[in-house]
Amino acid sequence: MTMIMSEPATTPDPSTPAGMLEGDLVKRARRGDLHAYDELVKRYQERIYATIYHMTSNHEDANDLAQEAFIKAYSALKSFKGGSSFYTWLYRIAVNKTINFLKQRKNKYHLSLNDIDFNAEHDPDLMALISDKTPTRDVGLSELQKKLNEALLKLSEPHRMVVVLHDVQGQSHDEIAEIMGCNIGTVRSRLFYARQQLQGHLAEYIKP
Amino acid sequence: MNESENNFNDLKQLLKLKRHEIPPPGFFNQFSDEVVARIRAGEGSGTGSFADRLNEQVPWFVSFLRIFEAKPGVIGGFATSLCLLLLFGVVLAERSESGPQSILTTASSQADPTASTPALASVATPTFANSTASEGGIAISTNASLQPVTAFFGQPAGASALFQPASFAPAH
Repeated sequence: MTMIMSEPATTPDPSTPAGMLEGDLVKRARRGDLHAYDELVKRYQERIYATIYHMTSNHEDANDLAQEAFIKAYSALKSFKGGSSFYTWLYRIAVNKTINFLKQRKNKYHLSLNDIDFNAEHDPDLMALISDKTPTRDVGLSELQKKLNEALLKLSEPHRMVVVLHDVQGQSHDEIAEIMGCNIGTVRSRLFYARQQLQGHLAEYIKP
Repeated sequence: MNESENNFNDLKQLLKLKRHEIPPPGFFNQFSDEVVARIRAGEGSGTGSFADRLNEQVPWFVSFLRIFEAKPGVIGGFATSLCLLLLFGVVLAERSESGPQSILTTASSQADPTASTPALASVATPTFANSTASEGGIAISTNASLQPVTAFFGQPAGASALFQPASFAPAH
């Protein structure tokens, strides 16, 4: 009985935007319900922002592009046919926007990296990779972060996108193929090539 | 594939560091509010640029155009194939222009022995056509646009079957 009483407190109310299914939220947002769209933004903002941030290595650019991607998605909601999930469709908009932005920016980039959270210092795999020569762990991590971002920026946009979506974001090959509008074979070959390139750029941090 | 995955294990561990990069505290608390505020301000009602609309409506065409971006080899190959196609079209057009004329020359010279040159044939045939039409025969036109379609594909001059029917013989 106690369990039954406590359930409503944890389960979101289906009549509120927070408790609605994605499809219902999309239908409402298409009719102009901004509360529903606000909920959709909240659900996907972290993943969309993170993808753009890892592509640009710049917090301000990622913020602007993520906002623009959500605004663009809202204005284009009427053209969303539902052939894929809203999440995939939204991702596709964000990816296209980011790639277009990076092509215009070309090599004129400057890093504006986010801080590394506390948990990174307690990741044994990560710690094992840091060179013994670095004086302290803090210096080691921030140096590693800078080198890693610089190495990623040396990749072409499609190769960087595949690495970010797969190795950083944890998306499957199928999902990436759908987001990027290419076949799975292309995703695999881009991933392999990008990893090879990265391994070359980060050789001093990776065991031979 | 597993072997290649193992080769990149250290790299994948290193890439984990990216997951620990987080935006300033409270960033996501106001993110959606900013997006909604910008939509309310009218930014979401715009139709977007031409490129954006093209990307939405015909994404395959945009993907096709992207093939050419910064790939001189592909651009060169595509341009060469277009030129070849154009050249082929021009050659084909020239052949089709000369084809019907030679057929006409042969046909009219069979019908009227006096019409031995193309110039004579082109003058003589309409006269003949008019006279046969008035007499109840089958008229034939020298207008190239009214010729059978096969004439445009270089019908051999010797193949007079197209004009062979008794249309040239006066109907008595």
